[in-house]
Amino acid sequence: MSEEDNVKLTCTLKAAVAAATLLAGTASAQTEIEWLQWFAAENTTGFYEALAEEFEATHPDIKVKLVTQPFGKVRESIVTDSAIGVGSDVLGLNMPWTAEFMKIGLLEPLDDYLARDTNSFATEDLVQAPIGKIEGHTWMVPLNAFPFVMHVNMQLVEQAGFDAPPSTWDELREQAIAIAALGEGTSGIGLPFSSQPPANGPILTFLPLLYTNGGRIMDGTTPNFDNPKVVETLHFLNDLNKAGAIAPGISSRTGGVDLEEFIAGRTGFLISPGVHAQAIEGRNADLDYVAAAVPNNGIEAYRVHGWELGLSSASRNKDEAWEFINFLLSKDVNARVAAASNALPGNLEALEIVGEGAGDVMQAQIGILAEHEPVEELRQAPNAVGSWSLMTEEMQSMLNGDQTPEETAANVQARWLDLIK
Amino acid sequence: MTRIIQGFRAQGTAYLFLLPCLVILGALLSVPLYKVVEYSLYDNVIVERNPTFVGLQNYRDLLTDGAYWSASLNTILFTIGSVVGHIIVGTGLALLVNSDINRHAQTLFRSLLILPWIFTAVVVALNWQLLLNPFGVVNYALGQLGLIDEPLDWLGDPALAMWSLLVISTWRGYPFIMVSFLSGLQSIPQELYEAAEIDGAGFFAKFWHVTIPQLKPVIYGVALLDLIWTFQLFPLVWLTTGGGPGRATEVLSTMTFRFAFVDFEFSKAATAAVSILVISAAFTILYLRNETRKI
Repeated sequence: MSEEDNVKLTCTLKAAVAAATLLAGTASAQTEIEWLQWFAAENTTGFYEALAEEFEATHPDIKVKLVTQPFGKVRESIVTDSAIGVGSDVLGLNMPWTAEFMKIGLLEPLDDYLARDTNSFATEDLVQAPIGKIEGHTWMVPLNAFPFVMHVNMQLVEQAGFDAPPSTWDELREQAIAIAALGEGTSGIGLPFSSQPPANGPILTFLPLLYTNGGRIMDGTTPNFDNPKVVETLHFLNDLNKAGAIAPGISSRTGGVDLEEFIAGRTGFLISPGVHAQAIEGRNADLDYVAAAVPNNGIEAYRVHGWELGLSSASRNKDEAWEFINFLLSKDVNARVAAASNALPGNLEALEIVGEGAGDVMQAQIGILAEHEPVEELRQAPNAVGSWSLMTEEMQSMLNGDQTPEETAANVQARWLDLIK
Repeated sequence: MTRIIQGFRAQGTAYLFLLPCLVILGALLSVPLYKVVEYSLYDNVIVERNPTFVGLQNYRDLLTDGAYWSASLNTILFTIGSVVGHIIVGTGLALLVNSDINRHAQTLFRSLLILPWIFTAVVVALNWQLLLNPFGVVNYALGQLGLIDEPLDWLGDPALAMWSLLVISTWRGYPFIMVSFLSGLQSIPQELYEAAEIDGAGFFAKFWHVTIPQLKPVIYGVALLDLIWTFQLFPLVWLTTGGGPGRATEVLSTMTFRFAFVDFEFSKAATAAVSILVISAAFTILYLRNETRKI
């Protein structure tokens, strides 16, 4: 090898070492944060992956790793991952999990983060239900929001002799009975009270009706299921059942079947999150269908639900994780997130963007959001997941004719208190 | 001692080859087993940062819990019902597909009849839910035959749910018995049947006096294995009924899962899991003794 070659080789090696050092320096300066969620499992178009890349482009020092699981798996993963010390930084959350996760110490209080001047949003613009304080702190922020609505099959309503969706309990009873009387396998309304996991039928159907009756199941953070409003709402369901207005197979009917039966045009009404409009319109475009507020018994209220975000208390990169949450809640990004999930935005400043050119169903949801009272109680309910299993079992028993609404309310209360002992 | 050392010198290489396998097996079996038993002795683990040692308190609580005994009774009913169902249907179909018919038809039936065993529990659960739905095919067929006046909620009626689950479990599990018995049937010497025929034995006499005695070792071994599997079966029950309606089909395995992942009571779950382990271990010892006897 000549001396010239030696010089060339040395220079090349030095350049390679310098480049490697530079790259290593860049790599070591980049912080990776994990985002555990189910959102990307429900939108397989690559939307959330693209969102992470968009964030990384403007934040080259932060890398976002999406950890996507089905909804049914996320709750147990958060707990078990945390127990073995491998928890994610940003957590996709569901409001009913709050009390359980707080008790375990999994969540980081967000008060200091929400008070930052550098935030891309104003706290007062966020949907308020998820950010209400528990034990003096805010634990999560809303990525999006779904009001519970009543989906209405207008063809069945009109066949039964009515020209508008029911707006009160009395109208709901009258129309549901009339639709069931049409025969040929039609039913007024379905109640998905199967014990099959997640066994959450009562919180999908019973709670929205209870809230429009002005009732609650919690007294602060204590279960208060055995009260007159709950009993009155249980009587309403029991009477509908006795009148033959409810689809048969209540105790084996899952939420999925309930939705499918509505889509197939066999039930007149479906109480569920407004986000189900996407599935209904997508799978049966011919269905003559509208979304309306859940019929009330004096109180115009809706059960508010949504996808939430929180910080893991065990995260070593909380500032970077918050930076990502801050990005997701910024007006334009949040509007796109809402559109991708066919929901309302968590940052209500983005509502006007979502509302532009939105269809009738979305407009109906925006109207409910603006005019009715939002209610969310399960956030502060101890053992919320266990509690709705108990509600399911006791309501099955009531609708099977084995116990009265009064006994049902008392049994749920006693078993719930026993569960949290 | 000297003999052990000499033995190791002679066969040391073989033990060294076995070592990785023994270490992996030991880690995969012993560690989880130890942890489950350990967890059952604390007030609560995983969700409790500093759990307190409570000795056998969780066992005392479990044994005085009515729901545990109800789940135990359901487990016994489900296990015995399923195993009996598997054996009856599996034996019958093994005899049919072993009969002397057209070879192509025989292969076709053998292939078709093994299908339920291939499907995952999710597919089986979803299909049967659709079949047994009040608007499903089963209710329609029974209605058309005039056997029922109105649709039955097979999986939602507490009086029917366990029976429906047994039908599903039987359908899912018979192929294993069928295949095992089929291989047993094919190893029975034909001369025994010929001798029985010369003695004037008919179909049932041959079945009771030739087939059953010859299949006895297979029946015993396979039934025990099926008993062990079915006793701790979880996915089919959880995905089909979730233990409901109420707790009408709650078995020990679903109860354990409920403790762990619905209520986050991991120590209670570990205690229930240990109770399943003890009973399964007893069946396993019986099975191993039976297998040793064969050798």
